[in-house]
Amino acid sequence: MSAHLQNINETRALVVPAHKRRRAASERPNWHLTAIAIVIVGAYLFPLYWLVSTSLKSPDQIFTSPPTWVPTPLDFSNYTTAVFDNPVMLRALGNSLIISIGATLLTLLLSAPAAYGLARLKLRWTGVLLLPFLIAQLLPAINVALPMFTLFSQWGLVNTYSGLILANTVGTLPFAVIVLRPFYLTIPKELEEAAAVDGATRFQAFFRIVLPLVRPGLVTVAVFAFVMAWGEFVFGLTLSTQREMQPVTVTLNSFIGQYGTQYGPLMAASTIVAIPLIIVFIVFQKHITSGLASGSVKD
Amino acid sequence: MTISSSTTSRGAGFSSAPRQGQRTANWRGALSRYGFVLPAMVFLAIFMLYPLLYTVNLSLFDVNAGNFLAGGAPFVGLDNYKEFIASPGFIPSLVVTLVFTVGSLMFQHAIGFMFALFFNRGFPLSALLRALMLVVWVLPAVVSASLWRWIFSGSYGLLNSSLGLFGISSSEPWLVNPNTALIAVIIANIWIGIPFHMMLIYAGLQGVPEQLYEAASLDGASAWKRFRHITVPMMQPVIIIALLLGFVHTFKVFDLIYVMTAGGPAGATNVLSIEVYKLSFEYFRFGDGAAAANVLLLIPLLLSALYLWLRKREESTQ
Repeated sequence: MSAHLQNINETRALVVPAHKRRRAASERPNWHLTAIAIVIVGAYLFPLYWLVSTSLKSPDQIFTSPPTWVPTPLDFSNYTTAVFDNPVMLRALGNSLIISIGATLLTLLLSAPAAYGLARLKLRWTGVLLLPFLIAQLLPAINVALPMFTLFSQWGLVNTYSGLILANTVGTLPFAVIVLRPFYLTIPKELEEAAAVDGATRFQAFFRIVLPLVRPGLVTVAVFAFVMAWGEFVFGLTLSTQREMQPVTVTLNSFIGQYGTQYGPLMAASTIVAIPLIIVFIVFQKHITSGLASGSVKD
Repeated sequence: MTISSSTTSRGAGFSSAPRQGQRTANWRGALSRYGFVLPAMVFLAIFMLYPLLYTVNLSLFDVNAGNFLAGGAPFVGLDNYKEFIASPGFIPSLVVTLVFTVGSLMFQHAIGFMFALFFNRGFPLSALLRALMLVVWVLPAVVSASLWRWIFSGSYGLLNSSLGLFGISSSEPWLVNPNTALIAVIIANIWIGIPFHMMLIYAGLQGVPEQLYEAASLDGASAWKRFRHITVPMMQPVIIIALLLGFVHTFKVFDLIYVMTAGGPAGATNVLSIEVYKLSFEYFRFGDGAAAANVLLLIPLLLSALYLWLRKREESTQ
């Protein structure tokens, strides 16, 4: 906040009587606003309801006008056809799990020390070193995927889990470093200095003292990396040309060509792809909110 | 504690190598300082920087399906760039990209801003409802794309069958019609982008002191005047950053459009990123694709420079 506005604040604080200022804060809860909010948020999320409800309908309930708003009875056959009896889809879900977890671990492994280094050590060129991480966040995925395909063809990394894990980490690592750095900035230096007095090396101090203190940050980064890798599409599309190695997002896309207008199975498969992220979201909602705010606005 | 007395000397010894030490100790100090950052830097150098430079190299050669693996592609200088910019598809593709980006961004930001202002009024359950909206943001783009394909479907899609409720009988295949496909894709992207803008603006609004509004209302300022003269000026840095980031993120959108229309019909949604993909992975003209990719990179790069400059300026005023 600028000094100018701080002055305004102080002036107002003097001018406006204290009891008048306080009244606004202690108003009755605005339940009528809650009601409006429920309607608005409900309307906003309606397409999501449509996704899930379509997946639970039989074909004669899907293709109706006016639309069938509530599926009765619930029909789970779309899930059987599209996912549980579909070995391609099951394999793709497994691939995505391996790739996402791999990318998450690699992201943590690289970003945890890097963000610490950028936050703590008074490097002469912290700003310069931070630059590639900031720019990398803004790169179009296709710009990395195109040369990566030619390079990975030479290196034998096309159609491998390692190739996809490495590619995904290019997307997640810069974000992780930017999100994680502020967490380290909040840890008082005195803690490490105390460890140094006790004869610990810098690496020991980092692992034993600092790292446990930034656990919330590490969780945030892990959640983001997993969410990003699970939903990633461009690297999957370009770097896995064999069906057995494709992540589930790519398989879902080829489903669209395959199933055409059979929207029941398509919505069932889409719901299954979304479910792991929705679970992660519900469990780690606070981490996502804080990470989004800290990573994107400032650090 | 006794530590505090010795921290200064110890602290200094920690980060800067001891001046009186030998050359080896000095080197070890530097090594440990950069050691933390090094693995990530090496990783990005190999898997990001090198591929980007490799693209520049690729764009100067006529690499295609025939010589891609065998090698020996002829050097063509800047011909790939000239060809791409002069190709009949370039200008329409650039226009589609800009319309998609600006159209999405305007509404994402405006609607996100309104949501943020609304949630900022504070009411029971507001945090929960706000968090619920973020579900859309974590959804994989492919899932959102297949959902909106279904909504815009000609036969019994939600849009058409809802129009039926108002007595409008429609079987318009919105994504197949070249006149409506781009608008449909923009609508889907607006839906996806609202939570991002809402979050950024909401976080920014938390920093606007409540007393400013209270004082203004005591002075008889209307809600609009309070928004115009307090919210907007106070939020200006956040608005600029949200718009810049939003622009860069929207300019490069690939997956949503690829899954919804694959750039069709008749190029109506053929954004630059799709064009790059087609050149390289459908026509296997990697040289042309690389040149197109570098053209695609140019605009976000310029905006990134602006973003970094603004960041720096904001940091220095804090």
